[in-house]
Amino acid sequence: MKISRLSAWFTIGIVAVFYIVPMLAMARFAFQRVPVIKLSWGNVFQKWTLQPLVDSFGATEFQRAASLSVTLAIATALVTIVLLLPTMAFAHLSSPRTRRFIEISAVLPFVVPAIALVVGFAGTFRDTLPILIRSSFGLVPLYVITALPFTHRTLENGLAALDIRTLVNASRSLGASWWRTIAFVIAPNMRASIATASFLAFTVVLGEFTIASLLLKNTLPLYLSYSQGSNPQGTFGLGIVLVVISTVFVAMSNRFGKKVRS
Amino acid sequence: MAGSSKRRARHLVFLPYVAFLTIFLGCPGLYVFRSAFATGTAERSPMIEAVIGQFRGSFVFSLQLSFISASIGAVIGALVAVAVVRLDTVRGLRNTVVGYSAVAANMGGIPLAFAFLAAFGMQGLATRLLREINIDIVGWGFRISDFWGIVLVYLYFQIPLMTLVLVPALDGLRRTWAEAAQSLGASSAQYWRLVALPILTPALLGGFLLLVANAFAAYATAFALSSGGSRLVPVQIRFFLQGDTITGKTNLGYALAAWMVIITGVLVTGFQLLMRRAERWRR
Amino acid sequence: MTRNIEFRDVAKSFGAVNALVDFAIRVDEGELVTLLGPSGCGKSTALRVAAGFEICDSGDVLIGGTSVVALPASKRGTGMVFQNYSLFPHLTVHENLEFGMKVRKMSRSQRTARVGELLDLVRLAGLAERYPHQISGGQQQRVALARALAIEPQVLLLDEPLSALDATVRVEVREEIRRIQRTSGIATVFVTHDQEEALAISDRICVMCDGRVEQIATPHVVYRSPATPFVARFVGKVNDLAVEMTAPSRVRLRGHALEFAVPPSEVQSGEARLLIRPEDICVAGSAGGDGLQGRVDGVQFGGATTSLDVAIAGTNHVVRVSDSTRAMQFGIGDAVSLRFDTERVLLTRE
Repeated sequence: MKISRLSAWFTIGIVAVFYIVPMLAMARFAFQRVPVIKLSWGNVFQKWTLQPLVDSFGATEFQRAASLSVTLAIATALVTIVLLLPTMAFAHLSSPRTRRFIEISAVLPFVVPAIALVVGFAGTFRDTLPILIRSSFGLVPLYVITALPFTHRTLENGLAALDIRTLVNASRSLGASWWRTIAFVIAPNMRASIATASFLAFTVVLGEFTIASLLLKNTLPLYLSYSQGSNPQGTFGLGIVLVVISTVFVAMSNRFGKKVRS
Repeated sequence: MAGSSKRRARHLVFLPYVAFLTIFLGCPGLYVFRSAFATGTAERSPMIEAVIGQFRGSFVFSLQLSFISASIGAVIGALVAVAVVRLDTVRGLRNTVVGYSAVAANMGGIPLAFAFLAAFGMQGLATRLLREINIDIVGWGFRISDFWGIVLVYLYFQIPLMTLVLVPALDGLRRTWAEAAQSLGASSAQYWRLVALPILTPALLGGFLLLVANAFAAYATAFALSSGGSRLVPVQIRFFLQGDTITGKTNLGYALAAWMVIITGVLVTGFQLLMRRAERWRR
Repeated sequence: MTRNIEFRDVAKSFGAVNALVDFAIRVDEGELVTLLGPSGCGKSTALRVAAGFEICDSGDVLIGGTSVVALPASKRGTGMVFQNYSLFPHLTVHENLEFGMKVRKMSRSQRTARVGELLDLVRLAGLAERYPHQISGGQQQRVALARALAIEPQVLLLDEPLSALDATVRVEVREEIRRIQRTSGIATVFVTHDQEEALAISDRICVMCDGRVEQIATPHVVYRSPATPFVARFVGKVNDLAVEMTAPSRVRLRGHALEFAVPPSEVQSGEARLLIRPEDICVAGSAGGDGLQGRVDGVQFGGATTSLDVAIAGTNHVVRVSDSTRAMQFGIGDAVSLRFDTERVLLTRE
């Protein structure tokens, strides 16, 4: 008993070190102006500075990339909710077979790796609808697809927790239309799930590299990859900021997700 | 009459979703496969061409990387899950570990590559610290952009993913199973061998398949680590199909992509089937 | 060797909570004894101590005359049935039944023969190749019972085996358990919080509260002559009325003038509670004279018996009366007169 607890602590300890060390190393590189070679016990606490990160924030290209990523994240979350919520609400009202169909279709993006999706996308629309490839907003449908397995799961949990049939019957018997019902009855009851799904969509968009890179759109991750050479410290600082933001998003979606379950 | 047209109208509700998936997932997928099977002027189908000759090595490299990072990740991730469940009495530990696992499992791409460059690169902090205690990983030939380096980086999201899959499965082991086995005369080892492990097998196997698929599809991290020079399949696809560059061998790129879809498809289907079995036992 | 189980002054506490205090009882071969009590009364703890899942702080548990407290659960030779879901989900019914024998390294032919016998015993011969999730809850519990019996245990321990089942299935499985227990003659400890179940199935009932034994007796005695107010209140229905002692062995309902005699008890004076079962009260028309006068407030027709709720005139007491013949004559609003069977009255301070 004692030994098994000890070995459990040991396992968690080792893995915790593995999880923490790279993040610490990235932070040290970003915020301390001392090369690793010259690092010693004497100067561990010297020359720490946020200046490189501040410089990065000031760069116009960064601001352009960041605003593009944020815009895309919001657009992706919006399209996801508008597309999924009514569909899934109706699926819950109709047969279990429909629900099952939606469920299976929502897992399909797992099967198609991002790289395959984006080359297929480019091939399909290069001649038929080139605007989708030229415009940055062409990324939105691809991001919606990429995030679909996660967002669907979240909304599904939320809908399952609601007695949606009763809600709809009550609303309809009081004379509300279908769309009114979805907008003013179901959506408000799904606030926690909608927030969770949105946070997951944000996380996907802010971290996504493959698709943007192949379509040559300068989103934040792409900016990170090519500004590495000119301002390595600042870029690593931005990397930390990105990690912190996605940690917050995941934590938020965990918290809201718990609210859905309880 | 009115009823049936109303029912048909109801089905129209699903039209936007189905159309969206068809256009943005179905069509691209179809395009990849159509191009992959188009022989054109070449004598062999690109699908064949993609797995013989020079690209065979890419597949072998990608699959090896996936299987090895998945194997190590699965074992360590499972140990972490067991540890978390065993230390369930410690307040806050489970939430911390599971919560951070959710973060780390979704990490990847550029920031993760940065973190490992800063830690295990030639001038990395961890590399330096290890040298202080006479472990010279650079001297052993370890490079963060090499095979084992990428394995190490991938473990950062593979381990937590396995933990996330396995913690609910371990929670699903009922105390009454252990007690029933004991009262029927089974030792603790017999309980694990005859009851707990068989019940966990679908989740363990399913988790492993998920990890393989996860590593196989990953692209950004390896790309950032080795500045494009890697032999991974996704990076090869990029070489053929990036942007507007037409190399004349585009169909070969599509064939590589098609093979990727097939392989992840098999892995993900296996994962889904196994998890459904695990779920059924848990009830 | 006698196949019995005996608890000798077993004590067990979890932190500050005393789950068992000087718990002592012997269950003989062929006997089915129920541990009955509300949740948290220690009944399951007693069972888990016997099975070896909990270690008692002091006292002894003897199975077949030998102390087992030092033995691990796997060596005690007890058969245990749990509340639910204890069948191994990855094994078929047949494989579940085989499990204990396999662990004991019995030969395949022996195992197969024994499994056949067991399936016949619980009347599930056709289901051998099914998995637990493919059979009903009642069937699962019968398989669990057969699995516990497969190792030919010296005692059978049943931990609320019926609680998770639907009402009708519960009665069916209950009768099945009793039948099998009778034929195998195995000493059985049955834990439940359901007093009706306990009354129906037991040779003896051990009523427990806060880790202590309140009464050990046959179902009939427990019901008709509860040893303590707790037993009276917990087993069966009882009227619980506030009274005042006017003299030793004389009481009146609080707020009512009529006095009547009760059997001598510890309670001599002051305020007290009077416990009496609904069927121990005689009901008659108001012309009946000197009883408690009241008015019928509610009627529940229960088939064999009818219950009346009678509001006692001039007070806020409501007394439940039940009876198979006379009660039927009355309807809501009728004036009636009640007479307590004073031999059946229990007085208590609380």
